[in-house]
Amino acid sequence: MLRRLCLAAALLALASASAFAAAPKPAARSAALSPERFRVERDSLPNGLQILLHEDHSVPAVCFFQWFRVGSRNERQGITGLSHFFEHMMFNGSANVPPKQYDVQLESQGAYSNAFTSYDQTAYYEEGGTASLETMMRLDADRMRSLSLLPDLLKSEVEVVREERRFRTDNSVPGMLDEALYSAAFVASPYHWPVVGWMKDLERITRDEMVEYFRTYYAPNNCTIIVSGDFDPAWVKAKLREYFGDIPRQAPPPRPVNAEPEQRGERRVSVHYPSETVTFVAGYKAPAVSDPDHYALEILASVLGGGESSRLHRALVYEQQIALSADAGFRAQLEPGLFEFWVEMKPGASGADGEKALYAELDRLVKDGPTERELQKARNQVESRFVYTLETNRGAAQMLGRYEQNHGDYRALFDAVDRYRAVTAADVQRVAKQVFDARRRTVATLVPENETEAAR
Amino acid sequence: MIARMRLCVAPLAAALVTAAVLAAPASAATARAAAAVRAKLPNGLTVIVQPSPRLPVVSFRLVSRAGSVQDPAGKEGLARMTAELLTQGAGTRTAQQVAEDIEFVGGSLEASSRTEQFTVSCDVLKKDLATGLGLFHDVVVKPTFSAEEFARKQEEALGTIASNRSEPSVIAEQAFSSYLWGDSPLAHPAIGTEKSVKALARDDVASFHRRFVAPDRSLLVIAGDVEPAAILAQVRKAFADWKPSGEPVRDPYAAPAPVAARGIRVVDKPEATQAQIRMGCIAVPRNHPDYDAIQVANTILGDGFTSRLVNAIRVEKGLTYSISSGFTQHRGAGAFRVSTFTRNAKLRECVDATLAEIGKLANEGPTQAELDKARNYLVGQYPLELQAASDLAAQIATVEFYGLPQDWIAKYNDRVRAVTMADVKRVLGAYFCSDKLRIVVVTQGDVAKQALDGLGPVEVRPID
Repeated sequence: MLRRLCLAAALLALASASAFAAAPKPAARSAALSPERFRVERDSLPNGLQILLHEDHSVPAVCFFQWFRVGSRNERQGITGLSHFFEHMMFNGSANVPPKQYDVQLESQGAYSNAFTSYDQTAYYEEGGTASLETMMRLDADRMRSLSLLPDLLKSEVEVVREERRFRTDNSVPGMLDEALYSAAFVASPYHWPVVGWMKDLERITRDEMVEYFRTYYAPNNCTIIVSGDFDPAWVKAKLREYFGDIPRQAPPPRPVNAEPEQRGERRVSVHYPSETVTFVAGYKAPAVSDPDHYALEILASVLGGGESSRLHRALVYEQQIALSADAGFRAQLEPGLFEFWVEMKPGASGADGEKALYAELDRLVKDGPTERELQKARNQVESRFVYTLETNRGAAQMLGRYEQNHGDYRALFDAVDRYRAVTAADVQRVAKQVFDARRRTVATLVPENETEAAR
Repeated sequence: MIARMRLCVAPLAAALVTAAVLAAPASAATARAAAAVRAKLPNGLTVIVQPSPRLPVVSFRLVSRAGSVQDPAGKEGLARMTAELLTQGAGTRTAQQVAEDIEFVGGSLEASSRTEQFTVSCDVLKKDLATGLGLFHDVVVKPTFSAEEFARKQEEALGTIASNRSEPSVIAEQAFSSYLWGDSPLAHPAIGTEKSVKALARDDVASFHRRFVAPDRSLLVIAGDVEPAAILAQVRKAFADWKPSGEPVRDPYAAPAPVAARGIRVVDKPEATQAQIRMGCIAVPRNHPDYDAIQVANTILGDGFTSRLVNAIRVEKGLTYSISSGFTQHRGAGAFRVSTFTRNAKLRECVDATLAEIGKLANEGPTQAELDKARNYLVGQYPLELQAASDLAAQIATVEFYGLPQDWIAKYNDRVRAVTMADVKRVLGAYFCSDKLRIVVVTQGDVAKQALDGLGPVEVRPID
């Protein structure tokens, strides 16, 4: 949500699904959140492919996800950006589907395809009328079995990716700050390098490295297929066996190395660039999704940054009127990450003033905890976001993919309901105290080139 | 998280409305949408209720005939400022109370103003309908417009204008709009300029609201898990106190003259390593009978991964990450436009190749396979826009706002399927310009001027 300010609606939907909470009363919960109402069938193939099916016949359409458990965390220095490069190459030809034909065949059937990559995963999806579902399966099976990686296309597609990097990072203030923050906060974690990769790595990645990466990470045993929408499950299960059943299993991928040492002091990094406003982003080391404290931390993020009535907006934007925006965000991932704050100051206001105001709010929360009403508001927000996520086939499928990825079992989402409900004011205060430690903070500041003083 | 496609670029035509299955027969197993119910209140407010009971959510969407086209000269930004202030205190609630009350129930309440549409929307869970309707009514009918909130929002707008000057795509959008529409009220950015925002006063906002955000120039769509008779009764009661303005309902702009010759405007951004590019020309309004043929032709040219532009500029040449074409279509005027970006060294190649692709398609027409694919694509993507209650409400509001037939949504598939090769060739020749058009480029001024030499008259300007 915060990290990539420029996102598709689809990705925002995913972000909103990152946290959903208990409804205030059991009746409301059973309306949408229970296993009885949100029906999912699990299936799997002998080659290790996992399958999740969610039927919903509201509109005559389906969403088909191929969700691979590989992201930039599986890379290493020298091949950064490789996972995201695959996201592009997966549309550029396989044994029985020549280059360009993937999209031609899908669009001819009225369907659409896209994909996204993050630190932890690479997810591909198609959406269209139910009649296009078999085409989706055939195309996706072919590229999983036999991606071509044609040299000419590698060469032209890497230019597209480098253009993407120029667009999202090199000419974008939020993009620059995001990269500066993570590369400073993490020194030996795979979150040190950006998902899009370093420009020079993009220039040097070889085809051999790609072939090896594909064999390891694009194996059926490293993938979950999620189908959501208007379909006949018996037919889908039979067709998945037909198309995906003979793709060979591979050795399990190695666990990524995370040698991140303890941070023992604040880190500050500045980016000089022409701008009329100072923007800074502060990140505190925060736990991975395997730590149950992440539920309380997500509630805490909502108290601090969930809308105009949240503490930061109220203090920095509304009362002190020093900032144009002030947001908080935390989303637990597979590796320990950051609890982030993004603040854009008004013209003429310094980053120092913004930091002072931000830390005062954090101190107040650590000292007094949230109010009961703030807690209830945060729970209500996560619950309603969950309902809105279910409005679309893609929202539902993406949520399943995310829980399956993060917890190893999508059913963790039903457990999450109770986890959010169980968060107390004391929990929130405790995790705030743990996380908001200045010695484990990294601050990246955009220093306006024309106005260097303002950022001090 | 990063994604494959042009997720951040140029809002395509405001008008790509979809929805077809509303009236289509439901498959045996499912009950799809029931019929919409319409009413007209004594104060002139048009109300449309679309039940869609799948999930316990309710979406309210009010659209008024108001926007930046009504900004008085010298007070550009007034319509947007009015929208910004609507939620900053209303009825008996302060700004903080409005925010607290809607956020406490996990709902959303938003007001925004674009070129000619002033929109207020509210989304809540069904159990919070009373809270949502109460807040929604108050911000629409009884905004406070306090002097303190006005002063705060005025400062914020000035800050946003300053901040926008470092956003290449925002600079490009504003420069293109200004260049294309010239002295029309369609030309200026909704946020206004530093000078015009400073010229605004609190009373301007109150007066704008009274004149233009009024029931006799508004429509209200309610979609979601509602029972039409019950919600209509609630709405009639709630909005009975809303007074009509009597202001004449008209579009305060004429259709601009066609672009007579090619012209190029470069906005100098000395540190940019990538050039933002926009190009286009005057076309036709939203309710034009060529709408469907235009959508099909545009799908072939520049919408989707298999379109001519994506294929040539991104896939074949690797010049960009994103390129798309589209139509901006208002009630009384419209424009064809292409958006892309490329590294500075490839600027000329990218512009030339784009113009060549447009010209080639306009001259030769598409293949039959391309036509079939485009029609299937539009029809196939269509139901996806109907899933969320708020999307459904937005589409119904669009049909009503532009005065389209009430069966427009139900007949969508039929109309798209009826578009012929001759239709497509005709609209390609009529609206898809590659010669007489405006081009805007945002990057290093001297680099761009040199690169574009010989393409047409070039002027270089600083960022506005």
